[in-house]
Amino acid sequence: MKWLIFACKNVLRNRRRAAITVLIAAVGTGAVLIGGGFALYTFQSLQEMSARDTGHIVIAQRNFFTQEEDTPMALGLSDYAALKNRLERDPRIRSALPRVQFTGLISNGDKSTVFFGTGVDPRGEFAVKGPFLKILSGAILSVKAQPGADPEVLLGKDLARQLKAQVGSSLTLLSTTTENGLNAQDVRVRGIFTVGVPEVDKRLVLTSLDTAQKLLLTDKASTVSVYLWDTELTGAVRSDLEKQLPALDLQSWWEQAYYYFAVRSLYQRIFGLLGVVIILMVAFAVWNTLAMTVVERTREIGTLRAMGTLPAQVVRNFLLEAAVIGVSGTLLGMLLAGGTTIFLALANIQMPPPPGQSEGYPLSINASVELYAATSLAVVILCIAAAWFASRSAARKPIVEALAHV
Amino acid sequence: MNAVVNVAPTSPAIVQLEGASKTYRLGENRVVALRNIHLQLHGGEFAALKGPSGSGKTTLLNLCGLLDTPDAGRYLIDGQDTAALSQQQLALLRRQHIGFVFQGFNLVPVMTTSENVEYPLLLTGLPKAQRKTRVEAMLERVGLAAVARHRPDQLSGGQRQRVAVARALVKEPKLVIADEPTANLDTDTARHIIDLMHELGRTHRTTFLIATHDERMAARCDRSLTIFDGALQ
Repeated sequence: MKWLIFACKNVLRNRRRAAITVLIAAVGTGAVLIGGGFALYTFQSLQEMSARDTGHIVIAQRNFFTQEEDTPMALGLSDYAALKNRLERDPRIRSALPRVQFTGLISNGDKSTVFFGTGVDPRGEFAVKGPFLKILSGAILSVKAQPGADPEVLLGKDLARQLKAQVGSSLTLLSTTTENGLNAQDVRVRGIFTVGVPEVDKRLVLTSLDTAQKLLLTDKASTVSVYLWDTELTGAVRSDLEKQLPALDLQSWWEQAYYYFAVRSLYQRIFGLLGVVIILMVAFAVWNTLAMTVVERTREIGTLRAMGTLPAQVVRNFLLEAAVIGVSGTLLGMLLAGGTTIFLALANIQMPPPPGQSEGYPLSINASVELYAATSLAVVILCIAAAWFASRSAARKPIVEALAHV
Repeated sequence: MNAVVNVAPTSPAIVQLEGASKTYRLGENRVVALRNIHLQLHGGEFAALKGPSGSGKTTLLNLCGLLDTPDAGRYLIDGQDTAALSQQQLALLRRQHIGFVFQGFNLVPVMTTSENVEYPLLLTGLPKAQRKTRVEAMLERVGLAAVARHRPDQLSGGQRQRVAVARALVKEPKLVIADEPTANLDTDTARHIIDLMHELGRTHRTTFLIATHDERMAARCDRSLTIFDGALQ
C-alpha cells in the first residue's frame, strides 16, 4: 500500500508529463475500444442480417444442400406442415417457416426477365425479416388469398423498374414444373420492396407458398427455416434437432453467410492491426516518459540503493508507476469509448451503404466486456513491460556512479 | 598509517580495512584513489576524516559504506569479510547496519519528512505500528515533529540536514557514514546536529565516520584521520 502511494506521488511529480502520458494511454485505449466496438457492431448486424435471411437453422431433405435437384422439388419436404408444428412447440424456437425456392421468367406481356422466386408463409415471414426487408410501396402479402383475384406477388424494386410494374400491375410467372412441363400463372403486384442488395432487388419475387406450389404443381416445400429467439442458441438447438430429425439435413446460418465471413475476416485484420499499432504506440510513449523519469532520478535511485533497496525493488517501484499510468489511462479510455457509444446511440448518424449494397445503416458501437477487459489488460501489461525495459539497467547501475550523477 | 586506539579485544572492530586500494580509470588515465589503507574503527567511535578535495575521502567513505569494493586488500565489517558477498548480501548488510548522511541531503522529494525517515524501516520490514513509534520518537529528538508532514522543498537547509541525519539514525545502525554533514549550516544548527549525532552514538554505540572540512565538527570527534593523495597520514 505504502509503495503504491509512493508510485502515485512519483507519477504526479511532473504533473504535465504524467497528464500527457495518461492521455496518450486513454486515447489509445479509447481508439481501440471504439474501433473494436464498431467491428463488433458490424459483425452483429451482419450476423443478424444473415440469420434473418436464411433463418438460424435451415432444415431440408437429405442431400438438398449438396446435390442439384434433377427436377424441381425433387428433394423437397412433403411433411413440412407437421414438421413446422412440431418445431414450434420448442420454446427456444420463434417460428419455423416453410419456403419454396423456384426460378423462371416473369413477364409484363411485352418483356420477360429471369427471376428467383421464394414462396413464403405470409403469416410468419414478414415478422422475422424485420428491417432487412423494407416495403417501398404497396403492402405485404395477404394472409388469406382473395377468392377470384389473381395471386399476389412482391417484387424487388429493380425488378419492378425493369418490368415497369407498379402496385396493382398484372404480371405472369412462368416456370418449369415438377412434371417437366411449363406452367404459367397470372399474378398481381401487391408491393415493391428492397433488401438493400441491388443484386437481390433485381431478381427476387416473393409470393405465397400456395401460389408457388400451384405454379410448380407440387405439395412440397424446399426447406423449413427455423428462427430462434436468441442467435446464441443456434448451436445447441441444432444439435438437439439433429438428434430428433436423423433423416433430414440441417444447416446453420453461418454456413451460407459468405458475406458475413468475408467482412469479418477483413475487419479482424484491419482493426486487429490498428489495435496492435495503437497499443504499441501507447507502450512506447509510456516507455519514453519513464525513461526520462529514470534518468532524472538516477541520483535518487543511487540513494535508495545505498540505503539497502534492492534493484528488483527499484524496478518494482517503476512498474507500479507504469501500472498507475496504465490503469488511469485505460479507465479514462473506457469512459471515452463508453461516452462515444452512448453519444452514437442517441445521435443516429448514418453510415454510407457498404460495398454491394444500396442502403446505409446507423453508425453504432458495441461495448463488450471481453473487448474492454482484453484491451485494458493489454495496455496495462504493455505499460508495465515498458517500465521494466526503461528501468532495469538504471536499477543495476553501480551505486557510486548513480550517486555521482548530476 | 594511523595508530589503533581503543582496542577492545572482546569485540571485533566495526570497520577493519587491511591494505585496501582502489584505482579508477578515467579515460586513458588510471587514477589511484586509495592506496594501501589500514583502518580500524570500533563501536561508538567518532572519527573525522579530513583531507583536500580529490584526496580520496569520498572513495574511502564509499568503501566503508559497502557502496564500492576495494581492488586489493580486505574489508571486514563487524568481523565479516565482505569480499565473498554478493551485491544482494551487501545491500542487505547496508539495509540493516549502515546509515548514510549524504552531502547533498539526497532526500526523496515526493516523500514527507516522516516518510523519508520511515523509509529505511520500511525496507527492514518492521511492522507499521513500530515504524510509527520509532519515526515519531526520532522526529521528536531532532526537533522536526512540527514539520513531519512537510515535503523537503518546504524545509530549510538545516531542517533538511536534520531529516537526513534522522533517516540515517532511525534504524539504529552500527555504522554511520556521513559526508560533510555540517557544511553550509550555520553554527547553531551545526552544533545541534553534532550534539545529536553524539547523543545517538552514545545510546546505541554507533560508530561514526565523518568526512568534514568543518573544524567545528572535527573538534568534537574522538579521532581525526587525515587522507592525502589516497593515503591515510
